[in-house]
Amino acid sequence: MTDVEAPTQSSGLWSRAWRRLRRDRAGMAALLVVATYFAVACTVWLGLAGQGWSALGADSFAPASAEHWFGTTRNGQDIFARTIYSTRVAFEIGLVVAISSTLLGALFGALSGYFAGSWIDETILWVKGTLDAIPFFLFVVAVAYAVQGHPLAMHFAMIVTFWTTTGRYVRGEVIKLRNMEFVEAARAVGVSQASIIFRHVLPNTTHILLVQATIVFVTAIKAEVILSFLGLGVQDGVSWGLMISQSTNEVTAGFFNNFIAASVAMFMLVMAFNFFADALQDALDPRKVEEAS
Amino acid sequence: MKPLTTARSLAASLALTLALAGCSKPEPDAGLKVYRHSAAGVPTNIDPLQAATVYSNLVVVNAYDTLYRYKYLERPYTLTPNLAAAMPKVSEDGLVYTIPLKESGRYIDSPAFEGGKGRTVTAHDVVFSLKRHFDPENTSQGKWLWAGRIKGMEAWAEAGADYEATVPGLRALDDFTLRVELTAPFPQFVHTLAMGFAAVVPPEAVAAYGRDLGTRAVGSGPYELLEYSKQQVRFQPNPNFREEPLDLEAEGYDPSAHAAYGLADLDGKAPPFVDRLEIDFIQESSARWASFTSGREIQFSGLPVEQTEAVLASKDPITLKPEYAKRYHMESGPEAGLVFTVFNMDDPDIGYHEDPEREARNRELRCAMRDAFDWEARNQRFYSGLGIVFPGVIPPILEEFDASLSRASVAHNPQQARERLKAAGWNEDNLPVLDYGLVSSVLAREMFESFRGRMVDVGIPREKINGETFATFGDYNRALRTSKLSIMGYGWQLDYPDAENVLQLFYGPNASPGSNASNYDNPEYNRLFRQTKTMQPGPERTEIYRRMNRMLIEDCVGIIGLTRSHVSLWHKDVKGLPDTAILGGFWLRFVDVDAATP
Repeated sequence: MTDVEAPTQSSGLWSRAWRRLRRDRAGMAALLVVATYFAVACTVWLGLAGQGWSALGADSFAPASAEHWFGTTRNGQDIFARTIYSTRVAFEIGLVVAISSTLLGALFGALSGYFAGSWIDETILWVKGTLDAIPFFLFVVAVAYAVQGHPLAMHFAMIVTFWTTTGRYVRGEVIKLRNMEFVEAARAVGVSQASIIFRHVLPNTTHILLVQATIVFVTAIKAEVILSFLGLGVQDGVSWGLMISQSTNEVTAGFFNNFIAASVAMFMLVMAFNFFADALQDALDPRKVEEAS
Repeated sequence: MKPLTTARSLAASLALTLALAGCSKPEPDAGLKVYRHSAAGVPTNIDPLQAATVYSNLVVVNAYDTLYRYKYLERPYTLTPNLAAAMPKVSEDGLVYTIPLKESGRYIDSPAFEGGKGRTVTAHDVVFSLKRHFDPENTSQGKWLWAGRIKGMEAWAEAGADYEATVPGLRALDDFTLRVELTAPFPQFVHTLAMGFAAVVPPEAVAAYGRDLGTRAVGSGPYELLEYSKQQVRFQPNPNFREEPLDLEAEGYDPSAHAAYGLADLDGKAPPFVDRLEIDFIQESSARWASFTSGREIQFSGLPVEQTEAVLASKDPITLKPEYAKRYHMESGPEAGLVFTVFNMDDPDIGYHEDPEREARNRELRCAMRDAFDWEARNQRFYSGLGIVFPGVIPPILEEFDASLSRASVAHNPQQARERLKAAGWNEDNLPVLDYGLVSSVLAREMFESFRGRMVDVGIPREKINGETFATFGDYNRALRTSKLSIMGYGWQLDYPDAENVLQLFYGPNASPGSNASNYDNPEYNRLFRQTKTMQPGPERTEIYRRMNRMLIEDCVGIIGLTRSHVSLWHKDVKGLPDTAILGGFWLRFVDVDAATP
């Protein structure tokens, strides 16, 4: 079958972006922090760390010591192990939500943009508008109630809510791309619409998807903390949100370990990811890449 | 338009601020003597038909009259007439109760009455109020108390619940004499007449407000309800409340125990003493504690577990640190109830089974889980070590408590648990997945983690104990009543001081959706329960109660139990002794405070 060579973002563009990213010291430091967290999450996934997060100990509210670096909970559970294990939970939620909502956003954004003005576009825009009109936490409560405490209720609510922003960006980019020559050429030689969208147009939105994915990742982690604090998030297990929620009764009694451990761990990761997302955005900005070259 | 100068702008802002401040609503209780009580839960419905929780009961017994109440200070709890003029005259066979009523009971003024003026409470109103529970049009949570016990009541309900029709067993002989005829002796009957369920409601209010009585009250109690919300109720004294001077001696006053609470000043005066009674419903203990210690808000609070070390100088005996003793009164003691966990005997994975061999293995599994549980750790970590761990379901506060009972069923014995599991052929692979129910709260989650952690310690894999979270206690309660869970933990506060009230929790016919959440159905236990229903208190009945208690332990029907100890704190400017045990709430008519709100 005849096909055309699509001008997908060349390796030159990516290598220039990488060079720009490497020159951004804050961005690289943030990437190092994120990579460290990811490594920690991997050790938990591999069963090398944090596995004793639920084991009961003898001492309630023990202070930090050589045995328990961050002290213990009411049940004598090791707060350090719980903090470490929560890193995995944060990455799980962040990755699941970021990947799923980015894929959904890419799919619907591309369809909406390519068929702009058609009934497909109208329908997708209507769905996006409807979802955006529902307050996020109200929506999560409704979903949680509807599925009666299902462990993935929070993931589902986030994915359904978060894809719309990505979809809007992708739609705009695709509207721009669909009138470019390479797309015209593909149409002229009879390439199917599906192939044009998914093989030629969508790959050219990768820079948007990458940046959006990092933003959604951070948003998902923050949302998890808030939802778990409110009792709507992680239902069975441990997470930074649950640890902060647990600490509400403890801080008035002067026991801050749970609160500090979870807050600092979350703060570092969120800050680092924000810096990294900014740096990535700058590095992938075509105008800046062109200026640099 | 000429722009305003800075000085003019500031002056305009100041004037606007002052004007807005002048428009703000004045403090509603300024200049009044106000007592602000607090409770840890919310009364979702204050119709006496629905007074099933301690929180609803707290509101109901202050807005409405009951025939009897408990003496303010006497312990053990002793009944005394309230709206009744005297204790009932009981026939020799224990079936007929004749109760005289005071002629001074009067409802609050309300548009529900002709001319808006409250009328005298009569025995006909008592008859009406008890009939309401059996009216098929109503959903009563208190019907179980008298079901099958009042002669002709069920037949009256089946015949259409015509309120004009007479129930043979429930009649007003005249305006101020009530006659109740029971189908069988019911030694706890008078106690049920001191519960919020038995509060006297005027038919006019039911006709005028119907289901709205869930949020408003038209009663003859010491207080008139001004406002009801999920955050707070506000009362003012019922101006029509009968003049009944407080007789401290008759209420059980003991100077050596009660002198510090300022009660002597109130002797001989007619309650209520405060101009406003407010009850704040604050579920989060940290928020309640912050409000209490601020000194300007609520004047009563229980001691949160997290504050135990900071506030108490010693736990045995319970004493306050000097800085707290200077500011607050304190009272402590065991609650009239217990907390426990039961297994769902209707669940073939852990309870009754058609295969006798599997049923025997299920029993071993239940017993092993009981052995694995650590009551002492639960007590230390969740009840500040102030609770009392005891075997069986009859708590120490009751006379029928058996102090000689073996404590093996409440001992933490992980080794025995492992041996039981092994001997019964249970292993990681063939153990069933069991659903443990919990309400979505920090404390409930921590208790669940503690429970599961103990099970993991004896070899039950973590994934075999599945936590089922419910958004509210109401949702959880529904799950208990529909037999959806395998393992259920909850608390039971006594409706009256008699072991029958806890033993009925395991009586077969009371199974879900009744009060028997474990669905335990042992024919011998049921027979003994029926036998004791008509027996008067005494050594013979106590022995049967204890035998039933041992049967529950033997069958490993649950992980039982612990009686919590309450530590109540209240501000020094309050004159009173809070009673949060059995049907707490009657004492609020006797509360007073030193000074009016500025």
